[in-house]
Amino acid sequence: MLSPNDIQNLKNEALAQIMEAKSAEELEGLRIAYLGRQGKLTKLIKEIKRLSGSEKEEVGRLINESKNALLETTASKKNQFKVVRREWFDPTLPGAKVKIGHHHPTTLVINEMYEIFKHLGFSILEGPEIENDEYNFGKLNLPKDHPARSLQDALYIEEPDIVLRTHTSSVEARALSTLIPPFRIVVAGKCYRYENVNASNNAMFYQFQGFALQAGLSMADLKGTLYYFVKSFFGEKREIRFRCKYYPEVEPGAGLDLDCPFCNKKGCAVCKGRGWLEMLGSGMIHPNILKDFGYDPKKISGYAFGMGLDRIVMDKFKIADIRSLYNGDIKYENTG
Amino acid sequence: MRIPVNWLKEYVKVPDNLSELTGKLTMAGHMLDKLDKVNNDVIVDLELRGNRADCYSILGIAREVSALFNTPLNYPKIYQKSHKVLQLNEVGLKVTSDYLQRVIMIIIRDIKLTQSPNWLKERLEEYGIPAINNIVDLSNYVMLETGQPMHTFDLDRVGKNLTIRLATKGEQMTTFLGETISLTNDDLVWANEKDILSIAGVIGGKLHSISNETKNVLLESASYNQANIRRSVHRHKLLTDAGIRHEKELDPNLVEFGIYRFLELIKENKWGKIENKILDYYPSLTRPWNLNLNFGYLNTLSGRVIEPKKVIEILKRLSFKIIKENSKDLEVECPTYRTDVKSEEDLIEEVLRIDGYDKIPEKILSVEIPKNITPNFINQEQNIKNNLVSLGFDEIISLPFVRQENLRLNKYLFEKITLPVRVVNPPSPDIEEMRMTLFPNLSDFTRKIINERGDEVRLFEVGKIYFKNKKNYIEERKAGICYWSKNKESYFKFKGFLEAFFTKISIVGAIFIEMDSPIFLNSYKISLYGKIVGIGGEIDNIYYAEIDLDKILKDISAPQVTLWPKYPPQIEDITLVVPERTKIGEVIQSIKSVDNNVSEVELIDIYKDSHTFKIWYQDPKKTLDNEEVEKIRVKIVKILSNKGLKIKG
Repeated sequence: MLSPNDIQNLKNEALAQIMEAKSAEELEGLRIAYLGRQGKLTKLIKEIKRLSGSEKEEVGRLINESKNALLETTASKKNQFKVVRREWFDPTLPGAKVKIGHHHPTTLVINEMYEIFKHLGFSILEGPEIENDEYNFGKLNLPKDHPARSLQDALYIEEPDIVLRTHTSSVEARALSTLIPPFRIVVAGKCYRYENVNASNNAMFYQFQGFALQAGLSMADLKGTLYYFVKSFFGEKREIRFRCKYYPEVEPGAGLDLDCPFCNKKGCAVCKGRGWLEMLGSGMIHPNILKDFGYDPKKISGYAFGMGLDRIVMDKFKIADIRSLYNGDIKYENTG
Repeated sequence: MRIPVNWLKEYVKVPDNLSELTGKLTMAGHMLDKLDKVNNDVIVDLELRGNRADCYSILGIAREVSALFNTPLNYPKIYQKSHKVLQLNEVGLKVTSDYLQRVIMIIIRDIKLTQSPNWLKERLEEYGIPAINNIVDLSNYVMLETGQPMHTFDLDRVGKNLTIRLATKGEQMTTFLGETISLTNDDLVWANEKDILSIAGVIGGKLHSISNETKNVLLESASYNQANIRRSVHRHKLLTDAGIRHEKELDPNLVEFGIYRFLELIKENKWGKIENKILDYYPSLTRPWNLNLNFGYLNTLSGRVIEPKKVIEILKRLSFKIIKENSKDLEVECPTYRTDVKSEEDLIEEVLRIDGYDKIPEKILSVEIPKNITPNFINQEQNIKNNLVSLGFDEIISLPFVRQENLRLNKYLFEKITLPVRVVNPPSPDIEEMRMTLFPNLSDFTRKIINERGDEVRLFEVGKIYFKNKKNYIEERKAGICYWSKNKESYFKFKGFLEAFFTKISIVGAIFIEMDSPIFLNSYKISLYGKIVGIGGEIDNIYYAEIDLDKILKDISAPQVTLWPKYPPQIEDITLVVPERTKIGEVIQSIKSVDNNVSEVELIDIYKDSHTFKIWYQDPKKTLDNEEVEKIRVKIVKILSNKGLKIKG
């Protein structure tokens, strides 16, 4: 009677009946039939003590397993027949307010960009905001009287040599003077310029800058890097225009535009009728800069790119006025 | 630069499909800004490159179109050359500044001053310059056509002796628009014995220019030091059409071409008698220069392979001359109007842009991945922001200046005596003094939320503060944490957040020590192993703490994992009657220090002078029995009563 096979059969028979039970009463009947004081399985349990050592162990384990299986199945089946008694319950009652914290939108955008560039082997760097003329201009192929300087009216701490940096390129100059190549760096940070504050201009703004110095880097690497970034950040479907553009810090220089998502390139107020939005400036690090830092442009090359962040943050979070970003106007959900 | 397409067609074949034209120009560096229409002619408005002085003209753009579409260029007709002299008989010229690179002057007599013919008026109108009379209009026309500005004086009013010199400070001139300008000793001017005639290359005066009575004209065209012109243009905010051309690096050889083009049109229209003698002051001749171009370098820098044949063809289309050529290198002569091409890399860009940047492949950085050199402090800042957000704090970013009305709050909190950093040219008084603490802006933002509708405000900012120490400018990284609540127990709650924050960033052992502060009430310093790592305090129930991120950079340890103890604790609540002015932190510390098996002590309730503490007795190695707990308990009671604290009940 106590062969493992029989136990298995008994268990299967019982499970099948339990699964097909149609009512709570029938289920209870089955429970008694198998697991009650005189139940079929209970009887087997009583017989275990008659068995010898090794047999006892194996059969005991099997019976135990069967018992547990029956109990479990009975319990879950029982739930099906449960009569639900409803008491007054209002699921529309609001939850207790939980204060949650938020990152600033600019931080979110910076972090997302950092993540993308980390995949490409970039490290993150920062640099001083109070800069001297050398690192902000001189070492970037922007000598005194360079035309590009008059476009970047600086905030001066001491005239003419100490400024609040006008771009994050100053960190590029510092990296070129201290780091040993190969390196790939991204920098995000505050920059400043003389600007009368209004809805689209601020005296402080954020820039995101990248540069790399490594033997063998080419315009094709620059284009590949920028396309990888743009597609990751703005989406695969965006159209990109990579065109020749002049920046004194690079040669050859390139600008990158994205199709205007507001008008599908038809031309609207956002893109000033152009159908394209200017996104970033880039190019191969100017040979004068490389030579100035003691590199032979024929042996090692580098690229650099930079973009304003505030416009991107504003578009992403639908903020119309640039001042709102940094004057406490942002209301986070659950605030107060 | 506005380019009327019909005008452009006079010099070069333009594709019928306009977007083909603007598309290629855009890709090659001259971005289409907008399209416009005047007198039924389409105007292509291009955003030009700042280093392409040669393109600020219809002919310059025609040259680009010719190179891009590989079609021939038709130069306009120019006057046959005149006899060059060192001085004109009628007017003497003295030059005392080397900012002048070249000047050409010639006299035109018996001019026929009229309204301009329609073709001339329309051209100017399309560009956006108002028509005045045929002579002035013609000089503007030729400037637009060739890119070379020029100026006409009334010969009979201009005086006998002209000088091109630097102004003396305070000298005044009145522009033809009637505006009086006070000059500096960096402004280059044309002057006669009495008056300033013009700011060189920027704007002319009223008295000596052409008027309705003018009979004879002195025509001049020149080339100046671009930087000097730029300074004058920006100093006096005179963005004139001549000024925006002269402030770029114009080719001195263009002066002659411009003048002869002007004379040709005078002749064709019979608008005056051109004198035979022409003055040409040109002390240092600009000649074409040669550059080397290595094909291998072109390929490695561009990341694509371009056949030498193709390279040569493109350069020729751009009017570069091939001087020497072998399988590896080219020697190229640059036309003097290409003042932007100075290096091999410039030539490479020329080849790439004419062939099209769209032909550059996208390569994903195939070279080796450099070492990660992100400094710790950057990860620390991200970590700190994440942890404060996880505690329900909202991040703010503010302009790192202190508003005028908050200046009294702008104190460096960390003991050292420091001076604020100030902007010498502030755009507004609120953007003048840089912050030495993150508090003033956080406090402003907090008050704003309180006014809106707040019950509770939790804000933080992670950012730099700035100060001057002796001669050095210092930037330090801080985290400012700000808390306000309607609730009375704000300090209690705020400190809970601070402690949770320290726990989150794995800082153990920070203690709070009272101190006096010039701005805060109930101020304290936060000390970690004897270093001051933070300062805290309160104003108007706004609780604030500023953490010095550089000081805790090395103390943040890796997060730890603790397992639940295997043996259960015995827990008891005891209520103590605490005399006034007792430091509860010290009471807890002294209970803890009684025995290693006092694993935790927590203040759970305060009622009047009664403080209830929960005490955990727990041994990591075994279950404590009642007897063992009682022994510890007795010691606790003894130590507390020595301090004058009695157990209640």
